[in-house]
Amino acid sequence: MYSSLVRLQNTFGFFTTVAFVVAAIIAASDLLAPRAPVVNTLEANNVQVATGRPHYYSNKKEEYASIRFTLDADLSSLFTWNTKQLFVYVTAEWPAAGSENATNQAVIWDTIITSPSADHLMNVGPATMKKLRKSAEGKSIDPSRGKISLKNQRPKYQITHPSGKLAEIDDVVLKLHYNVQPWVGALTWNQENLDVGLWKRLKGGVSEKFAFPAIKKKKEGGEKAKV
Amino acid sequence: MFSNVQPRQAAAQLLNFGLILSTAFMMWKGLSVITDSPSPIVVVLSGSMEPAFQRGDLLFLTNRNILQETDVGEIVVYNVKDKDIPIVHRIVRKFGSGAGAKFLTKGDNNVADDTELFPPGKAFLDRTDMIGSVVGYIPFVGYVTIMLSEHPWLKTVMLAIMGLVVVLQRE
Amino acid sequence: MAEHILDQIRDVAEGQIDFEGQRLAELTVNLALSIVGAIAFFVGYFLQDIKLTVFVALGGTALTFLVVVPPWPFFNRNPVKWLPVGGGIPPQNLIMGDKAIR
Repeated sequence: MYSSLVRLQNTFGFFTTVAFVVAAIIAASDLLAPRAPVVNTLEANNVQVATGRPHYYSNKKEEYASIRFTLDADLSSLFTWNTKQLFVYVTAEWPAAGSENATNQAVIWDTIITSPSADHLMNVGPATMKKLRKSAEGKSIDPSRGKISLKNQRPKYQITHPSGKLAEIDDVVLKLHYNVQPWVGALTWNQENLDVGLWKRLKGGVSEKFAFPAIKKKKEGGEKAKV
Repeated sequence: MFSNVQPRQAAAQLLNFGLILSTAFMMWKGLSVITDSPSPIVVVLSGSMEPAFQRGDLLFLTNRNILQETDVGEIVVYNVKDKDIPIVHRIVRKFGSGAGAKFLTKGDNNVADDTELFPPGKAFLDRTDMIGSVVGYIPFVGYVTIMLSEHPWLKTVMLAIMGLVVVLQRE
Repeated sequence: MAEHILDQIRDVAEGQIDFEGQRLAELTVNLALSIVGAIAFFVGYFLQDIKLTVFVALGGTALTFLVVVPPWPFFNRNPVKWLPVGGGIPPQNLIMGDKAIR
């Protein structure tokens, strides 16, 4: 510690040590925050299967399904000071042909819910950003953002299958999942059937079984013109 | 200035330097074995997963499936042929289970899924294309590497500062 | 001559402090940074605001650097008292040569 340079090095060295210790404690403090996520309603409303090119890069016609759904969930307990964002996604899952346990899973809808501390990172236009920031003005965390209520929501993604066939499949369910992204520490997902300490499993979150219907005939021109 | 450096002292310094290097290498390889991943720690290079990950954030990966299979919703790092840069994206579709499972990924911040990033004729990823799944996160720490690779003159500046320090230091 | 100027620059750049000052500096660094880290965590945890933690930690660390790195006068209050060159009392009981052996 006799010269300025040595003092600079030693101070910086100890600073990194302290920074890592504090970061580790912050990450560990997540375990002290109880989580009790609840899904009140999750159901498929309107399921349709059609033939066509679901993406602009599709090179062949294939069957694709579109599932409208209703979701009512309270994930507000997932927002703590170390939460950066919550990624919420709804998947459709149905058994795969061949094996007993194999399944097919596809995300039909997702959303990113930021904490107020991460609002500035959202990739949205200036008007939406202003609204987003205003919604949590003066608050460092905003658990009310974790309340989701959607009625007859149109899916973000159409479902396909590598085989190109989707019509008339039974035992399809919708499932809600979430992924908590911390500011520092471990990424966590919803626990399906296991309580870990203060973190309770996701209550509800699986819809009743339904079936993909037979292929819907293309509508006539009159209906299309409206779209 | 260097004439009075003892050979024994110089040798000790050289050994010390070698020790630091080999310790770092051992830790990296050890972590590689524990996680079964060729690259257990990666720095985020693109903004396609924003706002979850920014450029320069550090990600910890594991390539083992101890509790369950790699699943939809996990954020994986994968390599496709002809591209050197590994991609960090989220799995949005999974068809089948086990070794034959087919995966499709998408960046949270991208509008379209990754089908276009795959080589022609490849519509899905296999489990073997992935080098790990993200389990831990530290923000910003890796930004130095991005700065150094994008602004090569910074290396010169750093070398100059080091040289100045050596000149201004006394034994 | 160049060597002489370089020596003067080195003196300024080196920022030497005395032995007591070194002990004090080390204690200050360890204590100050630990306390800053603890305060940063508790402020953030109880106000549930991680940005506060970052600001407190960075501010406190900057302050620590400012206190410790420059050779402030209070690090140089105990200069080493060297023995005078060539002078002083010659040590007693030091007899060289044959006479020392009884």
